[in-house]
Amino acid sequence: MKSFIRVKPLALALGALAFTGSVYAETIKIGIPQPMTGPATQYGDQIQAGALTAIEAFNAAGGINGKKLEPLLIDDGCEPKQAVPAANRVVNSGAKFAVAHACSGTTVPAVNVYENEGIVAITPGATSPLVTDTIKPHYFFRTIGRDDQQGPFAADYILNVLKPKNVAILHDKQTYGSGIASQVRDTLSKQGMDIAMYEGINVGDSDYSAVITKLKSMDPGLIYFGGYHAELGLLLRQAREQGLNTQFMGPEGVANDDLIAIAGPASEGLLVTLPADFTKLAGNENILEDFKTYNRSPDGAFTMPAYAAVQILVESIKAVGEDPDKVADHMHQATFNTAIGKVEYDEKGDLKEFEFAVYKVDDKGNMNQLEK
Amino acid sequence: MSEFIPQLMQQLFNGLSLGAIYALIAIGYTMVYGIIGMINFAHGEIYMIGAYVGLVTLSVIGVGSGLPIAIIILLMLIVAMAVTAVYGYAVEKVAYSPLRGGPRLVPLISAIGMSIFLQNWVAVGQGARDMAVPALVTGAMQLDIGDYTITAPYSRIMIILVTVVLMIMLHLYIKHSRLGRASRACSQDLRMANLLGIDTNKIISFTFIIGAMLAAVGGVLIALAIGKLNPFIGFLAGIKAFTAAVLGGIGSIPGAMLGGVLLGLAETFAAAYISSQYKDIVAFSLLVLILLFRPTGLLGKPEVEKV
Repeated sequence: MKSFIRVKPLALALGALAFTGSVYAETIKIGIPQPMTGPATQYGDQIQAGALTAIEAFNAAGGINGKKLEPLLIDDGCEPKQAVPAANRVVNSGAKFAVAHACSGTTVPAVNVYENEGIVAITPGATSPLVTDTIKPHYFFRTIGRDDQQGPFAADYILNVLKPKNVAILHDKQTYGSGIASQVRDTLSKQGMDIAMYEGINVGDSDYSAVITKLKSMDPGLIYFGGYHAELGLLLRQAREQGLNTQFMGPEGVANDDLIAIAGPASEGLLVTLPADFTKLAGNENILEDFKTYNRSPDGAFTMPAYAAVQILVESIKAVGEDPDKVADHMHQATFNTAIGKVEYDEKGDLKEFEFAVYKVDDKGNMNQLEK
Repeated sequence: MSEFIPQLMQQLFNGLSLGAIYALIAIGYTMVYGIIGMINFAHGEIYMIGAYVGLVTLSVIGVGSGLPIAIIILLMLIVAMAVTAVYGYAVEKVAYSPLRGGPRLVPLISAIGMSIFLQNWVAVGQGARDMAVPALVTGAMQLDIGDYTITAPYSRIMIILVTVVLMIMLHLYIKHSRLGRASRACSQDLRMANLLGIDTNKIISFTFIIGAMLAAVGGVLIALAIGKLNPFIGFLAGIKAFTAAVLGGIGSIPGAMLGGVLLGLAETFAAAYISSQYKDIVAFSLLVLILLFRPTGLLGKPEVEKV
């Protein structure tokens, strides 16, 4: 029986492999796992807009010491069970840096992978405290605030500006949703606010009329929802259908155009907490130019944080080289001037300060930042 | 407490409209099981495809086209029923009929595979993101009882009415038509019916088609009422409907209707009077309890071992 191993094609293949090896050494790979499918795709789009624009701008300016940045887009579907496979794909690609994940539920499991492999990763979207609190990573950072900043911020607004007679709080029982809902609840009840209801709803359900009927008879002064836009969109729509006109409020996970599409006119008047509008930050004019050049929108809660993440990685690599250990050490010590303003990290990789703002949805479906 | 009765009535309405959808989908499960003894796990996806076809039809007609809404909805239903009938027939011919006669587990696995295939088929074709359905039927009927207003959105009333009409039509058809009689014969004893000259392949295809069409109606109506679609809604709805079919007695069509309504009511009342967090637990505990005391479901016929 002739041997199945032919010598010539094998030699050619090995030779080609050697070639590809040398090509890869010319780029610095940046893994970008984010939701490319599923209900949270809009957040992946925002991260891509920010990160890719930054990468293309830096490459156009010559890259880092002549080496270009190479982005690797990986889908995590905003699902916890896809988190570790997606993170492993970043690892296996040979990338030492990542702009990683939008959803907290996905980020929390993935952090372990990046930490164990020594990959410097920055999340522009995951706000749950669990991301950095559980293992206190050295290699994982954020360019977005935490829910224990966002929750109290929302609660303060409720207490000082809205002053409802009581508050009903719903959440989607997931890491992010129940996390921020419990932050809001705890801050409110510490200040003596009456929490009329604290209940979870199911993700993926289409019919919430039972809980809306319950809310209707309870008639709360405000309904706060912790979770993503898919569920809040349905809640808003069905609430208006049943004649429940209470003020709703939500965190940044609900604030995107898909919510307006699902809820329609019922979304008008919704209050959301979001990162402050960094497109209006002084000094970002060049960055806005970059977005125009590469034909992408700078709007969206995570777009500027993603741009800032790339900026921080590039500056650190320029300062200390490509070794992830040195980069991580540098990031913990240095101060950066980025798209989201001044950035300084604590030992866990969290931002020392981050600005949130309250926005209101108007009748055209736009979210307008309210003055403080 | 003067609000208790009106609130109860409102939740009753909520539960009925939810149950109507479960009933429409459950019938498909129960009919297929009654005739060939197989659970068609891809049935939830047929429901989802019906919803998507309805949305596509709506966008082709155009919301602002000036046609009366009733005509638009009728067209959506007809097109959705036609397309899902083809899907139902094709799924049966591709995934199940070649495997007939073998071990019972094999078509089941094939069904699960078909379910995954259809979900991703639609995800590739239409995108995996949520799609919004324009609200064609707006407004609600309002009944004031004392201080409390019971609100019954027209889109939900439509669901209940259409379901009741379809159930009656199906019941009459099965009882009085030749195809209906042949279906009943096949569900009693497939081999014997074959020997007596009934074309069982035709009856099986007919069963799949009817089930698919009913699921399509459910899909279009739910899409209009809820307003949100994605390729994965079939999975959850399918599981709930399957539960409803088992609750009512798998293989029995009135059982599927009863099971659907019961499940919808159980979920709604659990969410209303216990907590939304535990409504699924309550619904499935109900299933377990009923199966403990009536293993074949509420209206199911006991499995008779033929000697």
